Amino acid sequence: MAGSTTDALAQRLLDASARYAPWLDRERARRTIAKDCLPRFRSEPWRHTNVAHWYRAVLDSSGFIARQGAGISAPDNAQVVDFASPGAAELACRQVGGTFAWDAHPLAAANRLLLDAGAVVKVRGTSTQPLAIGDLGGAFQHVLVLVDAGASVAIRETPSQHLHRIVEIVVAGGGQVAHRRWQGAGAAHQCSLLSVQVERQGSYALAQSSVGATLRRNDTVVALAEGAQATIASAWRLNGRDHLDNQVSVNHLEANATSRQLYRGIASDRAVAILNGRIHIAPGADGSDAALSSKNLLASDSAQVFAKPVLEIRASDVKCSHGATVGALDEAAIHYLRCRGIDDSAARNLLTRGFLREAVDDADSETLLGLAS
Amino acid sequence: MSLLAIENLHVGVAEQAILKGIDLTLQAGEVHAVMGPNGSGKSTLANVLAGRPGYTVSAGSMTFRDQDLAQCSPEERSRLGLFLAFQYPVEIPGVSNMEFLKAAVDAHARSAGQEEPAAMEFIQRARQAASSLSLSADFLKRGVNDGFSGGEKKRNEILQMLLLEPTLAVLDETDSGLDIDALQVVAEGINAFRSPDNTVLLVTHYQRLLNYVAPDRVHVLAGGRIVRSGDRSLALELEAKGYGWLDD
Repeated sequence: MAGSTTDALAQRLLDASARYAPWLDRERARRTIAKDCLPRFRSEPWRHTNVAHWYRAVLDSSGFIARQGAGISAPDNAQVVDFASPGAAELACRQVGGTFAWDAHPLAAANRLLLDAGAVVKVRGTSTQPLAIGDLGGAFQHVLVLVDAGASVAIRETPSQHLHRIVEIVVAGGGQVAHRRWQGAGAAHQCSLLSVQVERQGSYALAQSSVGATLRRNDTVVALAEGAQATIASAWRLNGRDHLDNQVSVNHLEANATSRQLYRGIASDRAVAILNGRIHIAPGADGSDAALSSKNLLASDSAQVFAKPVLEIRASDVKCSHGATVGALDEAAIHYLRCRGIDDSAARNLLTRGFLREAVDDADSETLLGLAS
Repeated sequence: MSLLAIENLHVGVAEQAILKGIDLTLQAGEVHAVMGPNGSGKSTLANVLAGRPGYTVSAGSMTFRDQDLAQCSPEERSRLGLFLAFQYPVEIPGVSNMEFLKAAVDAHARSAGQEEPAAMEFIQRARQAASSLSLSADFLKRGVNDGFSGGEKKRNEILQMLLLEPTLAVLDETDSGLDIDALQVVAEGINAFRSPDNTVLLVTHYQRLLNYVAPDRVHVLAGGRIVRSGDRSLALELEAKGYGWLDD
């Protein structure tokens, strides 16, 4: 029964003791869970994803995993402090979990109560080396990246075995973050919250590529201050019975911010892809410029795509555009390629790669997405 | 032995007969022009030669280099040396022109049992060919026909022809939509391609391209049949009188 699974998880969360980083505030999280906030299947943000499967995966897990993971490797302009280290509380106490609304992200509350791996990364100045975020070795992970004003960093986030991971990124004024994220073979049921706060004139660019899992859910929340810029580009390729649910919300909180969202997805076999891309322009955020483009390919009759752009505009002087399409590979393009001697399957590969490349075009993504020639 | 022999070809689309018995023979090295009014079946002839899906060959045959084309897939026809320059080239964003050209040339090389050309050598060749058509090197990095002007798309077709080195080029209204400068560039590309081994079938509504590319034979297609054939002077006659007089 879904109900009893939810109740069992809530009880497990409320009973959990603070075994890791006890200095972290768990009260807000406990209140969220106690308010019966754990979502149920078919409730609005979980319309197409049966969250009870994830609850069961959490209940079935032994909880504290404490594997040895690749962890985080930092460039020379960054300092990494494990949440369990003595200095962590001082460095990040107030900021861990400070960029999002807990009530809106009850799975983050579950993460906090079962947290077993986490670190804060502080970035100053610039470096040519990337900040590599690998597997932190816990079932519930939390990484907070604080980027100083004017500093810049390239983040490479690779697949991990977590059940839930929170990545929070705070980009101070004029800071720049380029974030590449690869989601591949990992836990069968995997949820994440990526919460990004971009201060005045800062910029954040996400290039994400995902292959499927039994259940993969990505919540992404971006908040933009005055003149800030954000690009969210995401490509996915799903096979078999993969299930990928992307919920993205880009919030223009102040004037003159720019955002671009670009999604390209392919679903084959009996896979299910969900994209809710939301643009929110707050009152007074005049001069906002926001665009969202979502294109999906259905490579079989049994695959399903639910793509929904949502615009909430509460300012008057804004530029906002969105478009969503669901279709198949262009038969005219396949014929064109075949007329040049390229056989049918090679033509389809070329078109598939071209389609996903509109969102991500790095070599690692092409390997992950099975596009390498 | 002729390079291309079309005999009594009948072709329809969705039960509607379009070509009603075409006979046409091209010898190696010849340039033939097929002219005709709109709806006469010119593009159907070009498309059915290339193997476009949706057409039904109900009678007759197309023999190219001793092969029955009806039995060949579009890619096999291409590898045999048949090239169709599309009237409406397809836009493929995300696939760069260079990547596409290399994939096509590689497929041809593999099918001929040859080695694929080395990347650098091929890039040089492609740049040279592009330059001969007044196309910048930047043009090779863009998505295939993506955002190209009408003239750029037609020149891109000729670029593909020059790199694939077919023995028969079927050019479907390659002249339409070109201004006079672009027309000359395209005509120079076609003339550069002409050789004792290379054969061209020009499908066109207007005779102006024929001012630059002199055909050996001109055929007039009307109502799905070739109603008249002649030398170059037939094209000039058509220009002077229009297509109406053919009905008389």
